[in-house]
Amino acid sequence: MKIQLQQCYFDFEQGFQLQDINWQIETGQHWVITGANGSGKSALVATLAGFGEKIAGSSEGIVEAVALVSFEAQAALIERERKKDDADILDVIAVGTTVHQILAEGDVNASVVKDLVEKFALNYLLDRPFRALSTGETRKVLLIKALASEPQLLLLDEPFDGLDADTLTMLQQYLVKLSHKISIVMVLNRCDEIPDFVTHLGYMREATLAHCVARSDEIAYRELQQLLHLKTSDLQIPPTADSSAKSLLDPDQPLVLLSDICVKYDQLKVLQDFNWRIDAGQHWQLCGPNGSGKTAILSLITGDHPQCYSNDIFVFGFNRGNGESIWQIKQFIGYVSTALQWEYRVGTSLRNVIVSGFYDSIGLYSKATDKQRNIADQWLALLGMQGRADQSFNKLSFGDQRLLLIARAMVKHPPLLILDEPCLGLDDINRQLVLALIEKICAAGLSTVLYVNHHSEDTIAGIENYKNIQKHSSNVD
Amino acid sequence: MSNNYFNTLALRDQLEQLGKCRFMHLNEFTEGVDALKGKKIVVIGCGAQGLNQGLNLRDSGLDVSYTLRQAAIDEKRQSWKNASENGFTVGTYQELIPTADVVLNLTPDKQHTAVVTEIMPMMKKDACLSYSHGFNVVEEGMQIRQDLTVIMVAPKCPGSEVRAEYVRGFGVPTLIAVHEDNDPQGQGLALAKAYAVGTGGHKAGVLMSSFIAEVKSDLMGEQTILCGMLQTGSILCFDKMVEKGIDVGYASKLVQYGWEVVTEALKYGGVTNMLDRLSNPDKIKAFDLAEELKDIMRPLYNKHQDDIMDGTFSSGMMADWAEDDVKLLGWRAETAETAFERTPAGEMEISEQEFFDHGILMVAMVKAGVELAFETMTAAGIIADSAYYESLHETPLIANTIARKKLYEMNATISDTAEYGCYLYNHACLPLLQDFMKNIDTDVIGKGTVNDDNGVDNARLIEVNTALRTHPVERIGGILRGHMSDMKAII
Repeated sequence: MKIQLQQCYFDFEQGFQLQDINWQIETGQHWVITGANGSGKSALVATLAGFGEKIAGSSEGIVEAVALVSFEAQAALIERERKKDDADILDVIAVGTTVHQILAEGDVNASVVKDLVEKFALNYLLDRPFRALSTGETRKVLLIKALASEPQLLLLDEPFDGLDADTLTMLQQYLVKLSHKISIVMVLNRCDEIPDFVTHLGYMREATLAHCVARSDEIAYRELQQLLHLKTSDLQIPPTADSSAKSLLDPDQPLVLLSDICVKYDQLKVLQDFNWRIDAGQHWQLCGPNGSGKTAILSLITGDHPQCYSNDIFVFGFNRGNGESIWQIKQFIGYVSTALQWEYRVGTSLRNVIVSGFYDSIGLYSKATDKQRNIADQWLALLGMQGRADQSFNKLSFGDQRLLLIARAMVKHPPLLILDEPCLGLDDINRQLVLALIEKICAAGLSTVLYVNHHSEDTIAGIENYKNIQKHSSNVD
Repeated sequence: MSNNYFNTLALRDQLEQLGKCRFMHLNEFTEGVDALKGKKIVVIGCGAQGLNQGLNLRDSGLDVSYTLRQAAIDEKRQSWKNASENGFTVGTYQELIPTADVVLNLTPDKQHTAVVTEIMPMMKKDACLSYSHGFNVVEEGMQIRQDLTVIMVAPKCPGSEVRAEYVRGFGVPTLIAVHEDNDPQGQGLALAKAYAVGTGGHKAGVLMSSFIAEVKSDLMGEQTILCGMLQTGSILCFDKMVEKGIDVGYASKLVQYGWEVVTEALKYGGVTNMLDRLSNPDKIKAFDLAEELKDIMRPLYNKHQDDIMDGTFSSGMMADWAEDDVKLLGWRAETAETAFERTPAGEMEISEQEFFDHGILMVAMVKAGVELAFETMTAAGIIADSAYYESLHETPLIANTIARKKLYEMNATISDTAEYGCYLYNHACLPLLQDFMKNIDTDVIGKGTVNDDNGVDNARLIEVNTALRTHPVERIGGILRGHMSDMKAII
C-alpha cells in the first residue's frame, strides 16, 4: 500500500478548503496528524475516506477498505437515526435501530464483532436502541464497527476522547496488535497520547499539512512536540519573584517618549526628527526595511545606544542623562534579538539563563534564590523543556536558544518587552514555536509588547498599533 | 631628569608600600558610585581604555566628558571621532580641565609627564587626578600639587573587554590604589572604589594595592614570566624542533597554541594542575627540567628585580624614550624576523592533551618562570597576593595573545613599557639557555616521550608532588582562586 497526495486541494462544506496537501503514506507507517483547533486535521484524515471534493492535484493509491471513526462520523450516524425517527409518521414511540442491528450492518466480520463486544463490555447494550446510548457508548459502537470491517487503512479521529480508563487501555493494546497488519492514521490533540507504534507525525496549520516528521528524526520530532505543547495546552505564564518593576512606574506617564530623535554616524544620518510615544498596555509592531533605523530606535530605548545621551529621551520616568544608570533602565525591559543571541555565548545551564533575566546579565554572576530557580523551572515546563534544566545553553539548537531567551526576557514580567525580529534565522517550525510563545505572552497582558520585524506578514494576534519607518539614510549637509 | 620617588623613601616605607595588596570583598562596595555622583569627570585620551571606561562610567550614571589636544580636535583624529560619535562632550584642556572634579589620565606612560605637567596648573583646587598605572608617580617622581587627590584604578584587561564585560552585567578584575602623599581630604579610597564600581570591576574582584607595589610588581611580572619567558621560550622551542627535523608547520603550531593550552590548566588549578596533566614519568621530567631552568635563570630574575627596584630599568627606558625609542623599535623589527614569527602554523590537528605530551619543555618553562618571578618578587618585599597576580594569574592572558597572532600580537597588545622589558629579558635569556638547550631533544619538545610503561619510583613521585603542592605560589593561589570563583561567573 502506498498513498500519495500531491499538491491536492479539497473543498469541504461551508467554504473550508484544504490547500496544497503533499503527503505520502507507505506500508508499515502509522501516522498521527495534529495541529491547533480549526487547522483542518480532521478534514485531512477524512479525505482518505473519500470526504471532501478534490478540485486540484493528483492522488494515487487511495484504498477502498477504509474505516473512519470520528466525531463527525459519530454525529452522522446519530443524525441518521434521528431522521429515521422523525420520518416515522405513525403515532408510536419508535424503538429505532438496536445496537445489535447497527453492528450487523454492512460488511463486517461477525466473530470480530463478538470478540470486541465482549472486550468493550457492551453485551448488556446490544438490544438497546442506538439513539439511547451515551456519547461514550456510541463511540465504542463505532470503533467496533470500524475494527470489524477489517480495513486496510484505519482512520481514527481523536479515538481516545471520552473513553474510560479500562476501555482506553484495552483499545491501545488492540491497536498495537492491529498495527502489525494494517496502517493506522490518527488525529490527536495531545502529544502525550501518541502511541509507541506511531512512526510519523504530521502537523496541520491553516488548512495545509505544514510539517511531516519521522519519529526517528529525534530533533525534528521533539520540536514538533514542543510546538504542540505550546499550541494546544492551556499554559499559564509563571509568576515573577517579587513585585515587578511595574510598581515603580507612574501609570499616568508614557513608558517611552522619544522626541525629535536624531542619530548619525560620521556623515551618515540614520534617523532624523523621529517621534514616538508608547503608553502602557499598547502593543506595538515596528516595521521598516533593513537599515531604516529600527535597531537604533530600540537601542536608544534600552540605553545600549551611546547617542541616547545626546537625544531627548524619556523612559520609565527618567529623562536620560541625568544620573540614572543603565541598570535602572534595563530593570523595566525584557529584550530579545538575534544580536543578543550571538552575545549570549556562555556554557551556563538552561536554568541559569532564565534566572539571568532577573539581573539583566549575560551569564549569571549572582547566586540564584530558591524562588528564582523555581520560577525558571516553571518556564522550562512551559517551553516543554522540563527535565533539561541542567543542560548547557550553548549546546541547544538555535530555535530552543531563542525560546529560552524569550523566557529570560519575560521572567521578571517587564513593563516593556522588546522583541527585535524574534523569528530571524529560524526555520518554519521554530518560527511557529516562537510566535506561539509570544501570543501566549501578549494574551497574558503582563507586559507591553514592542514587536519588530521587516516582514509585515509575521503578525501576532493582540498587536494593534503599527509604526512604519522608511529608510531615512542621508548625508549630513 | 626626573627623580625616582621610590628611592626617596626610607626602607621601612618602601617595604610598607611594597607589602600592600588586599583582595576586597563585594560588601565593601555598598556605596556604589555615590562618591562620584554629580561630579564632573574629564577623561584625557580616547583610546581603547579611555573610551571604554568612559562608556561604562556614563552608563553607571556618571557625568563623563573627554579632553583632547587642540590638534586632535581640529584634525578630527580617531580619538575625537571615538568620543564625539558616542555622544560625549569633547573639549580642549583649557576648556574642560578647569571644570573637572576628577581627571582620568588614560594616556600612554611615556606621555604622562608632559600631559600632567600641562594640566596640573589648570585643575580645580581639591580636585582628583586618577592614573591607570603608577609609573609616572613612582619611577619619574612626578610631583603633584598638594591639594589634589591622586588615585589609581587599573582594570586588568584590554579596553574592549572592560566594555564587553560591563555590558554583560559583569566586569574585569581591577587594581586600585591611593597615593598617600596626595590624599589631603582622605577621600582617595572612596573615589577609587566608586570608580571601580562605575566600570563594573567590583563584580569581578578588586585588589587594594599601592602605587609602588603596582609598579614594581607589574614591571617585574611583564618583563620576566609574562612576556619575556614566553617570547624566549617560543624562539628556543621552535628552533630546537626545526633543528631536530620536525615539520615546521607542526613546530609553529605547537608553540603558537601550546602556551594557551598549558596555561589554561594553570588558570584553573595552578602549577600543580598544569603538571598533573602530564603522565607520571613526564611530570617528573618536567619537574627536573624546571629545576634546572630555575638554577640557570635565577640570577637573571634577580637582576631584573634589582634593576626595577633601584630605578635602573626605568631610567634606561626613559633614555630610550629620549632617543625616539630607537632600541625598542630595533628589537621590535628583529622579533618580526625570527623563524618562529615567519613560519605559519600547519593545518594538522593537535589535540588538547597532545600540547602537554609533546610540550613538556614548555610546561617546564612556564613552571620555572612563574615560580622564579613569584619567588623573586616576594623576596624583594612584594606581598604574595600581588606577586601571584603579576605572575601566575596573568600568564594565561598573555599566552592568549600569542595564540592569536604570535609574538607580534603579544607585543602589540602589551604596553611599550612591557615590550621594552620583554626584549631586555629575551636578549639576556637566549644566550643564558644556550648550553641547556644543547641537551634538549624531541622527547621533551615536539614528539613526546616513548614510555613502554608509565612506571615511576614511588618515593620520587611523592617528593615531586609534595614540592609542587607546597610551593608558596600554590598556597596563595589556592586562596585567591577561591575568592575569585565566589565572585566569578557561575559557569
